[in-house]
Amino acid sequence: MKRLKTMLHVDFRRMFTMPLLYIMVGICMVIPVLILVMTTMMDGSVSVNPQTGVETVIEGFDNAWQIIGTVSGSDSAMVMDMTSMCNINLLYFAVAVLACIFVSDDFRSGYAKNLFAVRSKKGDYVISKTVVCFVGGALMFLAFFAGSLLGGTIAGLPFDMTGFGVDGLVMCLLSKIFLMLLFVAIAVLASCVGKQKLWVGLVGSCMVGMLFFMMIPMLTPLNATAMNAVLCLAGGAIFSVGLGLISKTVLNKTSLV
Amino acid sequence: MNAIEIKGLTKNFGSKQALKGLNMTVPVGAIYGFIGENGSGKSTTEKLMCGLLVPDGGSIKLYGKDYRDAEVRSHVGVLIESPGCFPNYSVWNNMLLQAANLGIKNAEAEVRKVLKIVRMEGAASNKFKNCSLGMKQRIGIAFALLGNPKLLILDEPINGLDVDGMRIMREVLADIAKLGCTVVISSHVLGELEKIATHYGIVRGGKMIKEMTAAELEASCRTYVALQTKEMNRAKALLACKYSRVEEDENGLLRVYDAKEPEEIVQYLYDNGILISEIKTAKIGLEEYYIDLMKEGK
Repeated sequence: MKRLKTMLHVDFRRMFTMPLLYIMVGICMVIPVLILVMTTMMDGSVSVNPQTGVETVIEGFDNAWQIIGTVSGSDSAMVMDMTSMCNINLLYFAVAVLACIFVSDDFRSGYAKNLFAVRSKKGDYVISKTVVCFVGGALMFLAFFAGSLLGGTIAGLPFDMTGFGVDGLVMCLLSKIFLMLLFVAIAVLASCVGKQKLWVGLVGSCMVGMLFFMMIPMLTPLNATAMNAVLCLAGGAIFSVGLGLISKTVLNKTSLV
Repeated sequence: MNAIEIKGLTKNFGSKQALKGLNMTVPVGAIYGFIGENGSGKSTTEKLMCGLLVPDGGSIKLYGKDYRDAEVRSHVGVLIESPGCFPNYSVWNNMLLQAANLGIKNAEAEVRKVLKIVRMEGAASNKFKNCSLGMKQRIGIAFALLGNPKLLILDEPINGLDVDGMRIMREVLADIAKLGCTVVISSHVLGELEKIATHYGIVRGGKMIKEMTAAELEASCRTYVALQTKEMNRAKALLACKYSRVEEDENGLLRVYDAKEPEEIVQYLYDNGILISEIKTAKIGLEEYYIDLMKEGK
């Protein structure tokens, strides 16, 4: 336990002193502003396919909260259009990128070698990375949320809360953050497999993450309840423990250099 | 008790057998020179000892316990290949991170102490990426020294260093030896190793072919007579008729290996009308012993 605390302390220090986190947080803040402003500017514009002559009307966001999620049971929840794809759920992949770089950096610099060659337990390592990347990812989610408020205001979109309340919005955000545990654990596992090879971690976590990606809107609607949050927390925790055990086994059974 | 005891260690990388039942014994307090050609299995053995690789067979015991034992591992300091630092962090911050990972209480004092041992106290604020190779290797040793280890495993710490770097490293290693810890050093720079090692292990093709103490090496290193004359070719031909091994070395001297006394060579050549301009007796060093051993094997 003492070793884990030490490792967490060191990893938190590393995470919060590395520019990557702040770059990612900055990007997460800018992305919703860009999406909301640009889609609002393009809203209603028509593009014509020169070969078929078919006209396509570009539809932007009607409501600033659409970038966070959709209301369960609403029409928009059923449709996979641009607004349902370009939303906060993209961050699961951004968090995976953060986690992959963070873990792979350990192996590329030789820091992991130092840890394992001496006295650190592989289980502690996996827990520490998962927890620290989870906190880093949560910051990215909050930055995205702040960016959404800013972007919605700049774009002049309504913050219409029909069908959900503030509590639903908070539970939606919490559910999304808790569910991130799963994606962080996937990224840590993929990075433990890839080690120095960052691309293995990135490709692996994106591919495996895709399997779970489609269920996010269902689990985290804007009208989420405490049950959604609990389910996401339980699911995230169970998956992260399971995947963490696999990561530990990978580290135990494979060469670390 | 031995600091390291390895029996029948095997390791395969795919179809390539890197270690073929390697045995190794390092007594407590020894400075163990671990010698071998590239790809002979030195680094693999060291990585296995550190738990960075998983062995396919055999046993590794450190101070009588399995190498995976957490208690025994807490007494091991390691430098494998590179120090394992974050390039954009300063040397000081890298050291503090490692000290924190090791759970060292008075981290700053400990870091200062080990940086002093490796003569790096003046460069603590430098970014790691700006350090020279010699400095990086010394930082690696400082990493290994954190937490007062009883056993140090250093993988090629002197390779690639310039003359000055080599001199500093020799001093550092001599100071470490005085601390009383057991040190395993693998290196190709045998001349430097010879100055500090108390024990040697020579590995070839994944097997230990010879283990000996420095005294045993001294005893088994043959004495030879080196001489120079104006008629080298004739002298060589004459000496080759009488002695079983006569060679010309890189300094242009003739080496006669199985002569009892230099006087007998002087007399023999004089009788054949050859005058000697220079003559001396010497012993082959570790490097030549190693080369001989490798030649015998081939």
